[in-house]
Amino acid sequence: MNMNKLAYNSNRPALSLLAGLALLGLLAVAILGAPWLAPHDPLKQQASERLEKPSLQHPLGTDRFGRDVLSRALHGGQSTLLASLTALAAALAIGLLVGLLAGMFHGSALDAALMRLIDVLLAFPFMVLAMLVAALFGTGLVHLLLAVVSVWWVSFARLARSAALHAKSETSYAAARVLGASSASLLLRELLPKALGPSLVLATFELGSLILSVAALSFLGLGSQPPAPEWGSMLADGRDHFLQAPHILLGPALFIVLTVLAFNLIGEGLRDRLDPYEKSDV
Amino acid sequence: MSKLNRPAALRLHNLQVSYTQNGRPVPVLGKLSLALGQGEIVSLLGESGSGKSTIAKAMTGLLPPSAAIGGGELIVGDGAAVDLTVNGVPWSKLRGRKIGLLFQDAQQALNPLLTVRAHFRESLRFHRLASSAKEADGIGARLLAQLRFSDPTAMLDRYPFQLSGGMCQRVCLALSLSLKPAVLIADEPTSALDTVSQKEVLDLLRRVREEHGVAILLVTHDIAVANAVSDRIIVLNRGVIEEEGEARAVLSRPQAAYTRKLIASRSRIADAPRRSDEMPTASEPVLEIGRLDKSFHKRPVLRQLDLTLHRGDIVGILGQSGCGKSTLARCIAGLERPDGGRILYRGTDVVRLRGRARREICRHIQLVFQDARASLNPRRTAVQLVQEPLRYLRIGSRREREALARFYLNEAGIADELQERRPPQLSTGQCQRIAIARALILQPDVLICDEAVSALDMSVQAQILALLQRLHRQFGFAMIMISHDVRVLRSFCHSIAVMNEGSFCEVKPAEALHLESRQPYTRLLLQCAGELEAGLG
Repeated sequence: MNMNKLAYNSNRPALSLLAGLALLGLLAVAILGAPWLAPHDPLKQQASERLEKPSLQHPLGTDRFGRDVLSRALHGGQSTLLASLTALAAALAIGLLVGLLAGMFHGSALDAALMRLIDVLLAFPFMVLAMLVAALFGTGLVHLLLAVVSVWWVSFARLARSAALHAKSETSYAAARVLGASSASLLLRELLPKALGPSLVLATFELGSLILSVAALSFLGLGSQPPAPEWGSMLADGRDHFLQAPHILLGPALFIVLTVLAFNLIGEGLRDRLDPYEKSDV
Repeated sequence: MSKLNRPAALRLHNLQVSYTQNGRPVPVLGKLSLALGQGEIVSLLGESGSGKSTIAKAMTGLLPPSAAIGGGELIVGDGAAVDLTVNGVPWSKLRGRKIGLLFQDAQQALNPLLTVRAHFRESLRFHRLASSAKEADGIGARLLAQLRFSDPTAMLDRYPFQLSGGMCQRVCLALSLSLKPAVLIADEPTSALDTVSQKEVLDLLRRVREEHGVAILLVTHDIAVANAVSDRIIVLNRGVIEEEGEARAVLSRPQAAYTRKLIASRSRIADAPRRSDEMPTASEPVLEIGRLDKSFHKRPVLRQLDLTLHRGDIVGILGQSGCGKSTLARCIAGLERPDGGRILYRGTDVVRLRGRARREICRHIQLVFQDARASLNPRRTAVQLVQEPLRYLRIGSRREREALARFYLNEAGIADELQERRPPQLSTGQCQRIAIARALILQPDVLICDEAVSALDMSVQAQILALLQRLHRQFGFAMIMISHDVRVLRSFCHSIAVMNEGSFCEVKPAEALHLESRQPYTRLLLQCAGELEAGLG
């Protein structure tokens, strides 16, 4: 079969990166500019305008307290994105470090210990662990992050370890050893770049479920507390009224989808950028 | 196209192929035509980048997506012409069944999860050439016996990873023949094999041509391979046929300037052995290896191996694949830890050193790998790559490091304008130059070259060997040159150690290594090499 028509378009990676960055830029402007852009006060309750349908005055309608959904979504983006991006970055950093160490000292006691810890964490239901953290340390943003990160790094560690094992079998790794590289150099200069690409892509995919988990934890009382707006808790709130007024879910859901899409596009583009052989495919 | 004096087994008309590179199409083949007579062996000879593999891939529908076929027709036997440009070429009926295929890496061509038996069953039953599994097994066993497997039934139950490279290639050949193709396309089938297995596979190709009447298109960069088996040779250069004719005529009286250049570059690796009086006078040994032992999974790879190297020495290590020569290199370079014995660098036992002290030894002992491109991190530019060892060992300031790197790159023949490029934008030969510059920037006392030129085109091979020779004269390090190619070693080394099953069976000055050796293993290696070369100038 002639597959030429279906050939991989080499312009696509740059395009996806640009599109992702553009979308993220728009979202950032909207979210950071919320105090000026939002049509209403996100906290102001208006008993006469409860659960209103989208209109010119309230483009995404109002919630059960008569608050403007668009304004709340714009304001809520700040805390949601701050929490989930911090959690993601921390999880990525811990996961990469643990995974690369385990991969580098493959077969050692360290590797075995780290991998068993990961197995235990994977077997543990996330919500139970998060509730444990809440019970032990109390509520608040920091503890929310602690709960999320303590579980989320695991998948990055697994990925980084397998990437490290693969990179270790390559000739360039052996060459670096012959050239006198120390363990730290090997880890940072030979293994990390190989693990970073796939990890970033995974991170962009994980962002969506992370935002939802943060929401679930807010629902449990960890994290942001009402009446402060936050995408996850707005979704959780809306759930009770979604049969009468489905539009209240639309606002936060739309923002979550757009954010995840932006990061996915960026992740896709970054991965292709980070792979030096992708570009000069002869 | 030259006239065939027998009915054609395969004809290819006006093949045009271009590759997309950086968004622009780069033509590789322009209106290329060739033909194979029934039962004829034709070599498609060319250097890397000549488009020879592209032809083989286009004829089997295996081009990568970045390639576009602009035109071309394929006729197998007396079948109808197949337009290669259109979608829906019935490859599943052509490939395997009409056109058999052999790849360079036979081990990878086989499915690692299936036994040889399962391979036969799968392909024979897919093409409806065997009605039962038993029949397929019978056909398989018969073919394996023909291809000189001493115990074909036992071979049927082996997995690919239990077989050597040469055995895998013979299994692939048997598999191809089981479908009774009219044509066999062999893309560098022996390039990854050592001389002994190479000769074995080439002998078999000649034999199956006689016994099965199959026409063979042999794609190769190696003049000796083309010389050993072909009836006709097609010389390809930059997608254009430079010369085509009877094998002996092309090689002994080349008409095209390019063919002459190709043959000359080969003889630039002089066949005359290096004279022993060039050997440096013995001084303190820089490297002393004593009773070295290493085994993998209880299988001994190095046995009680001894080797002494003086400053300025060039010692060649000759052996088949699997004899342990690469393991020896990796032990000396510190990549493997030997189970027993010692490796003394100027009196210090390197094996015992750990951490920073071991890394300091890297200043003195360096290794150049066979796969130059893979040994370089593709993310860094040439000038960054050469600085790596200085960075690792914290030598010099940033500016000094860069200046030194540029000096060594220039010495290794990498011009200023190439120094900012990364490996993907450089040729394999250029990558090997960078790897050599990188190894020498530490001014080592010992340089180990593990098959450092084996993967290169003949003309590039000669260039790299000349480069190594010049640098050796300039810097005076001792060298261990590992190769399966007698020719390279004889012209380059002062002495040659023949390695078999983990130890040296013979160590001789280069000029004293000849066919009358008392060691049967040395005789076998030299004989195989000699027969490939027979008749070549």
